[in-house]
Amino acid sequence: MITEQEARPARQMSEIALKMEHIVKAFSGIRALDDVTFEARAGEVLALMGENGAGKSTLMKVLGGVWPYPTYQGDIFIKGERRRFRGPREAMDAGIAIIHQELNLITELTVAENIFLDRQPTNAFGAIDWRRLNQDAEALLVELGIFDIRPTDRVKHIAVGKQQMVEIAKALSKQASILILDEPTSALSDKEVAELFRVIRGLRQAGVCMCYISHKMEEIAEIADRVVVLRDGRTIGEAAAISDITLDQIIARMVGRELNEMYPQSAHRRGEKVFEIQNFSIQHPSLPGERKVKDVSFSVHRGEILGLCGLMGSGRTTLVSAIFGAFPDATHGEVLVDDKKVDIGSPADAIGHGIALLTEDRKALGLFLGQPITFNTTISSLQTVSSPPVGIIDRAEERVLTEQYMAQLDIRAASIDALVGTLSGGNQQKVLLARWLNASPKILILDEPTRGIDIGAKVEIHKLLNRLAEQGVAIIIISSELEEVLGMSDRILVMNEGRIVSEVTRANANRETIMEWATGARRVEK
Amino acid sequence: MQRNGALQFIKTNATLIALVVLTVALALIDPTFPTARNLSNVARQVTIVGIIGVGMTMVILIAGIDLSVGSVVGVAAVVVTLLMQYGLVAWLAVPVTLLIVGGLIGLWNGFWIAHYRIPPFIITLGMLTIGRGVALSLSGGSSVPVADPSFAALGSAYIPPVPTLVLLAIAALAGVTTLVRTARDKSQANATSPLEKGLPGIVVTAAGLLLAAYVFGSSDGLPVPVAIFVVIAGLAIFVLGRTRFGRRLYALGGNEEAARLSGINVYQTKMIVYVVVSVLSALSGILLASRLNGASPNLGTMFELDAIAAVVIGGTSLAGGSGTIGGTIIGALIIGVLNNGMSLLGVSSFYQLIIKGLIISLAVWFDVLQKKNWTG
Repeated sequence: MITEQEARPARQMSEIALKMEHIVKAFSGIRALDDVTFEARAGEVLALMGENGAGKSTLMKVLGGVWPYPTYQGDIFIKGERRRFRGPREAMDAGIAIIHQELNLITELTVAENIFLDRQPTNAFGAIDWRRLNQDAEALLVELGIFDIRPTDRVKHIAVGKQQMVEIAKALSKQASILILDEPTSALSDKEVAELFRVIRGLRQAGVCMCYISHKMEEIAEIADRVVVLRDGRTIGEAAAISDITLDQIIARMVGRELNEMYPQSAHRRGEKVFEIQNFSIQHPSLPGERKVKDVSFSVHRGEILGLCGLMGSGRTTLVSAIFGAFPDATHGEVLVDDKKVDIGSPADAIGHGIALLTEDRKALGLFLGQPITFNTTISSLQTVSSPPVGIIDRAEERVLTEQYMAQLDIRAASIDALVGTLSGGNQQKVLLARWLNASPKILILDEPTRGIDIGAKVEIHKLLNRLAEQGVAIIIISSELEEVLGMSDRILVMNEGRIVSEVTRANANRETIMEWATGARRVEK
Repeated sequence: MQRNGALQFIKTNATLIALVVLTVALALIDPTFPTARNLSNVARQVTIVGIIGVGMTMVILIAGIDLSVGSVVGVAAVVVTLLMQYGLVAWLAVPVTLLIVGGLIGLWNGFWIAHYRIPPFIITLGMLTIGRGVALSLSGGSSVPVADPSFAALGSAYIPPVPTLVLLAIAALAGVTTLVRTARDKSQANATSPLEKGLPGIVVTAAGLLLAAYVFGSSDGLPVPVAIFVVIAGLAIFVLGRTRFGRRLYALGGNEEAARLSGINVYQTKMIVYVVVSVLSALSGILLASRLNGASPNLGTMFELDAIAAVVIGGTSLAGGSGTIGGTIIGALIIGVLNNGMSLLGVSSFYQLIIKGLIISLAVWFDVLQKKNWTG
């Protein structure tokens, strides 16, 4: 049985359940993991921390057998024995269970069916023994101290927090001794987090080894026994007991890079206020009553670059998408352009008011991959290449315009007629930029403008943004790379859990403080 | 490089080549096939499905589908003949039918699809049944004769040979002008794409015009429905290729969310497309009623399948975002030529169904292969 509260026991001597040594994993030459070494003991919660892109997910895929043995270098030891998994199945059989951020449940099936998916108990005729299936599932749920869902409930009818419990029960049913939890609280309410932690404590008592991936400081302080930090695919320093390390030290390990030539300085001048939002709130899409963004207000001036940072899930993308009119029904609050209140009910309205949004996921939300560069460049501003009444497109003009952008942004393609799907990531991103430049926005919002593109293209995009600011465009930039925000912005807003928790100017900005605000290690006094 | 070019040519023009091969083969096998009278007949038959196919191309371009087009044909035929029974003159009955039948059914379909995001397959499947029921109940289950004799002209009259030839000459002239203009545009924009890319198009257009001159110049002339089809197809080609509305369709079908975030009014665009396909289907029904000089409530049954087949054979992707009206016309011609040829050769209608089905499957398979090129 699980006890509600218990002191965190010292576990210096317990068995080492998992050891990863000198793990290196490269994707087409780029090292996502570059010498990762750590160990985790039975009956402990080891926190794996790191910024977005530090390599946490790749590491878990190596451990889970998603990337099988010869595709990585280094050694994995389970209970002291070297293992080389050839696939997820073997990792599972070795007692490793990974609970991903996106749950892997079949929502149409019941709780019990999910727990014993493809391993259902059968009777003498090979038919599923439903009674035993449900009894076994019930027993597991009781063991976890979960009494408010039944084995016969359909997964789609239970809350996300409970779905996570089903995942944990599933892991236990496979006798998992090493449990990996990848950002388990990202979709949970506070109450659900408390319940999860209760279950985790119980499992710790039962001797399960848990790796807890997160970047929320308060959670780590509450639940972890030891902490190991990952940065740029490397473990930074030795794993430290949570009592021996301060939050500041953890943050210093997580950031710790110097600004370099990536961020050209520019002499853009802040002009008059052009855009403002007041008391902006956005309902959570799946948790009724919860809000994804809470009472946010800020303004941007002409010629200013405003950085918006925060960890994944802090609400930054939701906020800018809502400003752009992506979810008019869930959005409350006021938008002012040039000090006049405007009503934005759709992206078309937003564009009409001079707002442009370069979306985070260029393939899913931005580009038309099966169409040529011309098409992708002009689609948001067809009025620039067509005559008003019927909207007949002047294709010659369109080509000339597109060629200009290709030259200006140095877009490299086999020809102007090349399908955008055939271009490299950096060039695709530049096509998207061309699209929004052609819409001549007053306010240009960029969500992760340089994600997944090479350094050269990155610097070019940074230079372009500076030029636009010089021309008086107000720019809002979101990036998971703290340096990018620090290097580019005149002013930085930090978001945490849907609120703007801090505002700093470029001169006063420092990584550690921003990270403290973003992770919630530092809070606004209420 | 040379071989690669040839392969690419075959790949991009597969359906066109199939049509030419099919036509030449039939002409060699059966001497009645290439006569002007027979080909004129084929053209007229193709018209009915072709007009629907134009609308269906737009629907499939935005990754939708409309299964109700055949029933709309039936309802429109019954309504237009009934209106004339009630004393309305033909030239009033036709637009009223287009508006009421085509417009209302299109708005209905579009509303559910755009507003409530109901899958188009389901909502138009419902309309397929509803429409047929409406046609049957309005007509009381029996045929409605045509009351206004002037109505017959729509489906059966001809534009005489001489004006036809003049029209064709004008078309040829227009073709040459556009060609020169596009070439100039491209050189102006410093395009790397050579003229050869447009060469098959030029050859086909020229051959098509010559064939049309032979077929319609030597028999009774150009059938009115064919003329209507040509105008509609021409308009649609223009709209899809050269207007903002056309761009919206390709964007919507290629990536709906990206289209929305690019500022496209998805709701309005979907509404318009579903109304257009319904109105065109209604027109098709009116032409059919005129040609048959009466309307049976069962008119248009299974037309949705022929229309979708024409679109798919013509290379429009069922996933949306790519396809052309030209392709659909070729697809409709393949189906028309195949139907006509198989009937001439005395192939049993049972086998005809099998062969048609096989060709559709092949076309879809080809579409999947093509897709792999840039997504793989």
